[in-house]
Amino acid sequence: MKKENKFFKYLSLFPISFYVIVLILLPLIYIFCLSFLTSDYYGGINYSLTLSNYLNLVDLVYIKLFIKSFLIALVSTFICICIAYPFVIFVSQKKKIVKNIIMTLVMVPFLTNSLIRTYGWIVLLRKTGIVNTFLEDLNVISSPISFIYNDFGIILGMVYTLLPFMILPLFSAVDKIDKSVIEASYDLGSTSFKTFFNIIVPQTKVGLFNGSLMVFIPAIGYFFIADLLGGGKLMLIGNLIKNQFLSARNWPFGAAVSISLVLITFGLVKIYQKIGGKMDDLGGF
Amino acid sequence: MKKILLVFVLFLLVGCSENKNELNVLNWSSYIPDEVIYDFEDKYDIELNYSTYSSNEELLAKVTSAKEGTYDLIFPSDYMVEIMKSKDMLMMLDKTKLKNYSNIDSRYLNMDFDKGNFYSLPFLAASTLIAYNTETIKDNITSYNDLLNPKYREEIVLLDDQRIIIGIALMALGYDMNETSDTAIDSAKEWLLKLMPNVKLFDSDSPKSFLITKEVNIGLIWNAEAGIAMQENPNIRVVYPKEGFNLSVDNYAILKGSKNVENAYLFIDYLLEGEVMKKIIESYPYYNVNTKTNELLNSMYLSNPASNISDDDFSRATLVKNVGTAIKKFDRVWAEIK
Repeated sequence: MKKENKFFKYLSLFPISFYVIVLILLPLIYIFCLSFLTSDYYGGINYSLTLSNYLNLVDLVYIKLFIKSFLIALVSTFICICIAYPFVIFVSQKKKIVKNIIMTLVMVPFLTNSLIRTYGWIVLLRKTGIVNTFLEDLNVISSPISFIYNDFGIILGMVYTLLPFMILPLFSAVDKIDKSVIEASYDLGSTSFKTFFNIIVPQTKVGLFNGSLMVFIPAIGYFFIADLLGGGKLMLIGNLIKNQFLSARNWPFGAAVSISLVLITFGLVKIYQKIGGKMDDLGGF
Repeated sequence: MKKILLVFVLFLLVGCSENKNELNVLNWSSYIPDEVIYDFEDKYDIELNYSTYSSNEELLAKVTSAKEGTYDLIFPSDYMVEIMKSKDMLMMLDKTKLKNYSNIDSRYLNMDFDKGNFYSLPFLAASTLIAYNTETIKDNITSYNDLLNPKYREEIVLLDDQRIIIGIALMALGYDMNETSDTAIDSAKEWLLKLMPNVKLFDSDSPKSFLITKEVNIGLIWNAEAGIAMQENPNIRVVYPKEGFNLSVDNYAILKGSKNVENAYLFIDYLLEGEVMKKIIESYPYYNVNTKTNELLNSMYLSNPASNISDDDFSRATLVKNVGTAIKKFDRVWAEIK
């Protein structure tokens, strides 16, 4: 009987182990090894060891590109926080059934592919799009506003796509706060501003960092948003990696950029653990 | 239940049988209409397994990572023919097996990447042209340098292709588009930085749609894209820039180790038929390289300058060549201007 249980345990673990080892670990090891090789005249791979791919990254052009990517991701994360906090505090004060309905609505957009939703923004916001035509017909504006194909478009796309990843962990954190503590704060004469920064934020910092991580990291790599809503004019780290594999035929350099990004991610997760976050919570729910 | 299983196993066995009449083709996505493929299968009773790729690099990766003999017929572009030739991946072609060989427009034969056409034959050709909407752009644009005019702020869509766009900057400055010297690449970078305020966006998938929806009024885009845009909006005009322009030729090539060589020749010969090529060209209005098809196409296609190059313009066409590791310089400029 016990043996059977064990067998069942391994059997049920098989799919996830298979997934992690074959689809995540092996490709990552391949990319890691690739990053120390060189590319040949025809874009193939030369099996000679080198560190030059990493040294080439220390170049003003690429450092600027990293900084730009981080700035875009940082601003997107900040805007997500500004939208998510009031929203989750509002929701957490509702009845349980209302909470459930609202949180389900937050996840509804996931039912549609994010590419299609991004194209939706283009139809709305382009020069001859619905919003501009509407505003022009009302004589609010005389010439169309450039909403997309600039940095604003990229940040809009990032915030829109990634907002649920901020709301979900932040909601579970805010919802856990004992309501009587907040009431006590008000009873003792604190303003809502003070209550927010002295009571709510300290108690939800793990959820906040968790959400920030889940927004910040994808925001560095989502090249399709930079391509579609930024008009391909701004190169993010994700675009740089994509180019190395598809147009520059320099796979080893692309691998080195990818590994650098993985290391940065690891660094952020380490900080998260330092401030008391649990790895389990990074699952999102 | 057992019966179903038996039928299933038998089905599998039939599927595995050796003496199957088939052909494995690897081609660009959206390049041959399905109808043409079905007609071929019916006519010759050959099962055609059709897979696609969206860049020459992807083609190379797919062929090198697959077992020899997985694919028979491929459609590499000019510089990729050269790369594959030097890697000894292509089979020498026997033109006597192609009775429609004489249909090929001689302008596209004997080109630099495969002198004598020992390994490849042209299938279709494409170029990057300036297309603009004459409703809003009243000036007569003839040169790449005209695009630097500050009047055209945020008015241009460019292909998202580093070799072609940096190549255009090189041509605008009087260099060859395959030049790789540091001074040339540096001045190309400066030229592009001057152009950037006028660029609204980069797109390779469907740049025509931005011209059609009037998001921008000028485009540096593929000729077939411009051709379709002109059908939608007759005010759009194409220009063969006076400094020269990029031409790319996609070719038939048979891979070494192919197991269905005879069928591959049959398919090439079939596609070389005037009527068949007409169906392809009507769906995808690239440059037709088939003289027989020209006799069959209607005047609307033949009068469209986006789909037909004059001999005079043709003399200014340049092919993108493999520049080897100098591609890193192009890549760095690309990161710098974006």
